[in-house]
Amino acid sequence: MPVASTLKVLIVDDQNSVRQMTRMTLEELGISLVHEAENGVSAFQTATLQPIDLIISDFNMPEMDGLGLLRAVRGHAAIRKLPFILLTGRGDRELVVKAAQAGVNNYLVKPFTTAILREKIEQVVGKLT
Amino acid sequence: MSSFEQLKQTFFDECGDLLQQIESGLTDIREGSHSDDTINAVFRAVHSVKGGAGIFGFEHLVGFAHVFETVLDAMRSDRLAVTSDNVDTLLASSDVLTDLVAMSRAGETPPADYGNECRTALQQLMGGGDEDVVADDGEAAGDFDIEFTPVQINLDEGIAGEQQFEITFRPGPEMLRKGSDPLNILRELRQLGKLELTAETDRLPVLSEIEFDRPYIGWTARLETTRPQAEVEGVFDFVAGDCELAIVNTTPVPALDIGLPAPAAGETSLPSVDFAPPIAPEAEKPKAAAAGTRASEPGEKSAAPPKAAATTTRVELEKIDRVVNMVGELVIAQAMLGQIVHELPESVSARLQQTLDEVVHHTRELKDSVMSMRAQPVGAVFQRMPRLVRELSAKTAKKVRLEMTGESTEVDRSIVEMLSDPLTHIIRNSVDHGIESPANRTAAGKPEEGTIRLSAGHRGGRIVIEIADDGAGINPERVLKKARERGLVAPDANLTEDEINNLIFMPGFSTAETVSDISGRGVGMDVVRRNIQDIGGRISLKSERGRGMIIQLALPLTLAVMDGMVIRVGRETYVVPMSAMVECLRPPRSDIHDLVGTRGMLKLRGELLPIVDLGDLLDVRSTEAEGGGVVIITEAGEDIRFGLRVDELCGHQQVVIKSIEESYGSIPGISAATILGNGRVAFILDTEKLYEMAAIQPPPSAMAAAKYDAPAMAMRN
Repeated sequence: MPVASTLKVLIVDDQNSVRQMTRMTLEELGISLVHEAENGVSAFQTATLQPIDLIISDFNMPEMDGLGLLRAVRGHAAIRKLPFILLTGRGDRELVVKAAQAGVNNYLVKPFTTAILREKIEQVVGKLT
Repeated sequence: MSSFEQLKQTFFDECGDLLQQIESGLTDIREGSHSDDTINAVFRAVHSVKGGAGIFGFEHLVGFAHVFETVLDAMRSDRLAVTSDNVDTLLASSDVLTDLVAMSRAGETPPADYGNECRTALQQLMGGGDEDVVADDGEAAGDFDIEFTPVQINLDEGIAGEQQFEITFRPGPEMLRKGSDPLNILRELRQLGKLELTAETDRLPVLSEIEFDRPYIGWTARLETTRPQAEVEGVFDFVAGDCELAIVNTTPVPALDIGLPAPAAGETSLPSVDFAPPIAPEAEKPKAAAAGTRASEPGEKSAAPPKAAATTTRVELEKIDRVVNMVGELVIAQAMLGQIVHELPESVSARLQQTLDEVVHHTRELKDSVMSMRAQPVGAVFQRMPRLVRELSAKTAKKVRLEMTGESTEVDRSIVEMLSDPLTHIIRNSVDHGIESPANRTAAGKPEEGTIRLSAGHRGGRIVIEIADDGAGINPERVLKKARERGLVAPDANLTEDEINNLIFMPGFSTAETVSDISGRGVGMDVVRRNIQDIGGRISLKSERGRGMIIQLALPLTLAVMDGMVIRVGRETYVVPMSAMVECLRPPRSDIHDLVGTRGMLKLRGELLPIVDLGDLLDVRSTEAEGGGVVIITEAGEDIRFGLRVDELCGHQQVVIKSIEESYGSIPGISAATILGNGRVAFILDTEKLYEMAAIQPPPSAMAAAKYDAPAMAMRN
């Protein structure tokens, strides 16, 4: 059972405001070990170099988008099973279907409440304590 | 929650940038000067607005941005044509989006039907009620109505996928004797995951030959584990030297193989096939071809680079200047270090020298990089000129066309700034005095419209700017007459045409017979010349009567650091700019000829070249025997060469230019000072001025000119 205070989360979004907002919501869940990345390329580097337990990534980013990042993670032996939650906007359902095919663990539609975020994370890694 | 409000502000600030990107991108598309990336960038920007708006709960903004983005998505995947009507709708949508952001920022809730007209127009572009466009409103916040089962992961099991290894392990003969038991290793291996072992007994000898402390059996193992390979290898750490070992990762490559996700930009985006790529490859060709035809048109609209966000950053000039200064100090310190190394015994200095050479190399690169940060295209100055020419030609009722090339040539910004006045002056002169009236031009058999060509380019460590016109050129008789009237030239002086033309650089000279509104107010070419010389540049001119004239400015690339040759004359040390040096040689005495009225001539490859003894000229006595020493052939202007006799060349180095003019005024023959490796100050020579000081002339007619800081009189051979 994962402990919130030791869960290491990587937030990937090119918009600072979204990253900070997500970070704030995570902190309300007691998750404070948070890394950030601005695009898929640097997120992938972080994920391979740092011990990360969960990626929460936006889709739309320069350099490498969320789907590209997901595929890169799934294609890398050492982090193949890394839990991946895709952040989407409303109306992006087609994208979720694609992400599901690519092996996404869960998706999260903006805007989200603290409760929804908890639910989505727990659906993937189990109940947070 | 104040931090929430702060984040909202951050979001709105981001929106400001994004909206600007959208606007300018769409404008480019509207004007036809976009690349494939432009639509993509606009799409991403709209999507980002939508994403942020979603997070912060601006529903209306999300709704509109979604419709907007859907249309852009269709456009970028070539499902919708880029027509001007379509782009106009997008531009209107960008306005609506801007309004919605502004309202959200002000804390207002936009009226529910705000922007509906535009929204409808967008939906129509997508063929009316496209499901995708309309769908978003019906969804409950949180989830889509699709079947999706979250995939649970047990973090305790580790996140690496199951991997398979094939391990071949053959203990060496010494292993048991050293106290390592192969069985322990196999047990350890078993703890990592699922292990299948096969014993290899082929090396087992007959019983009588078995030594009890020698292992004969080897194993082939197949391991399925979630642990990383390093951990598997770690098991064998203590026996690695005593066994044959091979660990091969035989994990089947996952079906979804995107190749090695090299973290390089560009290669990694959207590797999928089915997901609409930004632009389908087939669609790229016609567009590229279209861009090609555009490129051939005049103007700069072709090949507009995609407006990349955040690839540049603004830095205060002062900060860069500080780095420039530090680089200067570094160059001096390094020269001092070089001096010290030089004085050490060779056994010590050899290795030190190697490292120092590297430092020198890096410093040079550092200098170049910093200088390139300060560099600016001369276009910054050039772009003011078309307007000037337009105004002037209107005023003078002449027809003048300005052609510019090489605007992108880069030069230190301080030089760009100083260029403005001289260029303005020269171009004024060209329009006012050079180009004739349309009637006169027609009479002379030239096209009615005069042409001024302004060009810039790099040439041998300098930037050369040329202003050429096809006007009347200089009228030598008129110039000579004026010069005589003003007493600038002795009445009986016999000057060549080139010398006469160069008289216009003399102080107080103005050729316009009537002082016109535009030029000829006494601020003449002499001021231009002084401005150019003040920044270490040279100005020269060629005129052909009736055909036009060319003025050429040769300027240093930077004002801070330059390559110099350190030389010695007597007990003094000087620096000659490398850019002014052509060659160095040690001529035999027999090649130096004394000719009456000269300071000596050097016979070089069959030509006679005037030479000047630097010691004599600067009045620092040379200790060297007469005729000895080294002759440096230097350039003192276009086509002007002469030899400078010095005692010794001490070495080539980068020198930091320290201006002395502020403290000591202008010193003839000296352009600036520098600090050498030994901490002493050395003067940097101005070869052009030295040439003038030496007053090397074809004897003896034009002597009078020398008195007036005469221009470089051409000495042609």
